Amino acid sequence: MTGLSIFLIGVLSLGAIYAILCLALNLEAGIDGLWDLGLVSFFGVGAYTYTLLTCEPAGAGQHYLLGLGLPMWLGVLAAGAMGALIACLIGLPSLRLRKEYFLITTLAFAQVLQQIYANELWLTNGVAGIYGLPQPLKDYVSPSFHTYAIFTMLLIAVAVAYFLVQRLTLSPFGRRLKALRENENLAMTAGINPFSYHLCSYAAAGFLSGIAGSFYVWYNTLVVPGQFSANITFFVWTAVIIGGLGNNRGALLGGFLFMLINDLLRFLQVSSEMALVLTSLKTSLIGMILILILRLKPTGLCGERKEIIDL
Amino acid sequence: MLEVRDLKKYFSGIKAVDNVCIDVRKNEIVGLIGPNGAGKTTLFNAVTGFTPTTGGKVAFEGFDITALKAHEVARKGIIRTFQTPWGFPRMTLLENMLVFLKGTDAGFWSALMRSKKVNTITADTKDKIIRVLETLALDKKRHDWVQDLSAGELKLMEIARALMAEPKIFLMDEPAAGINPAMQGTLIQLIRDLRMEGGTFLVVDHNLKFICDICDRIYVMSDGRLLCEGPPDRVVCDKSVIECYIGNN
Repeated sequence: MTGLSIFLIGVLSLGAIYAILCLALNLEAGIDGLWDLGLVSFFGVGAYTYTLLTCEPAGAGQHYLLGLGLPMWLGVLAAGAMGALIACLIGLPSLRLRKEYFLITTLAFAQVLQQIYANELWLTNGVAGIYGLPQPLKDYVSPSFHTYAIFTMLLIAVAVAYFLVQRLTLSPFGRRLKALRENENLAMTAGINPFSYHLCSYAAAGFLSGIAGSFYVWYNTLVVPGQFSANITFFVWTAVIIGGLGNNRGALLGGFLFMLINDLLRFLQVSSEMALVLTSLKTSLIGMILILILRLKPTGLCGERKEIIDL
Repeated sequence: MLEVRDLKKYFSGIKAVDNVCIDVRKNEIVGLIGPNGAGKTTLFNAVTGFTPTTGGKVAFEGFDITALKAHEVARKGIIRTFQTPWGFPRMTLLENMLVFLKGTDAGFWSALMRSKKVNTITADTKDKIIRVLETLALDKKRHDWVQDLSAGELKLMEIARALMAEPKIFLMDEPAAGINPAMQGTLIQLIRDLRMEGGTFLVVDHNLKFICDICDRIYVMSDGRLLCEGPPDRVVCDKSVIECYIGNN
């Protein structure tokens, strides 16, 4: 296994984690029309929940809660459940607000949570974070194939997430979410309670993002508060817009494509000075690609499609 | 069936609806007319929970629905259409209709655990949808996005959508506006047929001929107040109604 293939698999693994986040965002924003700028809240909560439940108790010089050493699959499910719970708690006050106010409130909640990770030493070991976390299958797969094994598991998770989100989207439930996105007042005349439908989609997005958070711990083998800045939310939004808001395939494509654009710049054969410049210009470059795609294909690479229902 | 008692809706001193009382009995077609700004649409909004009332009471089938929210009013069986037709623009006409389909299991868990039933449209429902689409000449547009429909087609779609909900009472806000005369005849026939099947209607429109053709009784509003009430032939001859529509000269 060459270094290049390991690197590529690493990028695609991160792409898979982003793809799950993109699917979550597409469900709540693309289908339901909730402009959420706090997606990273659930991602971070999922990562910390997974870590605190599956890692060993804190050693000397470390402080964090629990450390129960539970099985990883239990940690993944708990991460999803905690993501959904936090979504419900944030959603209860904020989903009653209008679009712009909802957007600001969710961003504020995400910032508050990041401050909690950084400052509540007893809970998360503060800015030092928690290191050396185990990866799954380490004992069962040879080290040379371990990266592939993790990638395969992430691909399976992406497939399951896609299947579930697609199922929700194409159901009468999904149709009602779209109706709310398009015209909330009119949807109410069909007897649709906006709050309860928004809460369901928001909690489902929280669940998926929480699970993605636990996978992020697999990938990095550490959690530090700096990983859960608002940048993640904006990156996921960028990825979904590139792929096509309102289309689950577009969201998948956007997730992988974003990661490839983000990391493949490293392959450019340039001088060390130029590499430094490119690194600092990476975000601008992604912004330019986003503008270009919006100019040439305003609905994204795979825009929303008509749902043809046969009678 | 629908009782509106002393309904008031004030906007910072402007009396948009002032002490209005209206009764709609089961299986009746009642008209509500009046010049622009008379308060007809505000009355509709207050009855359907779109705007909180300043005072008075709205009861439906004996239940007080004054304080209910719009979606709760709709669940009671009151379906309304809008003066300016509304749709879900990036959904097809058929999807728009299915959102309103009565008896749909649209729960989160049902969608996730999807039993076959959840996405299946029964044969009866299919027949009904096809019949409505054909009657309203919308059959060829069923897979078009609503944002691509003309204003007249949007008006017809509103009616098609309302029919999917099988309401106990239809509140129609200017259903004939923007619809060509031939289709207006079809619409009148459709409303009459629905009444034969037990439907109840409260219809707002500016088209007096249309209102007189279909309604059993008509209420006339002006400046937020009720001017008169009665059968069409009596109302159109009423001096105050003529004055309010064409002036006293």
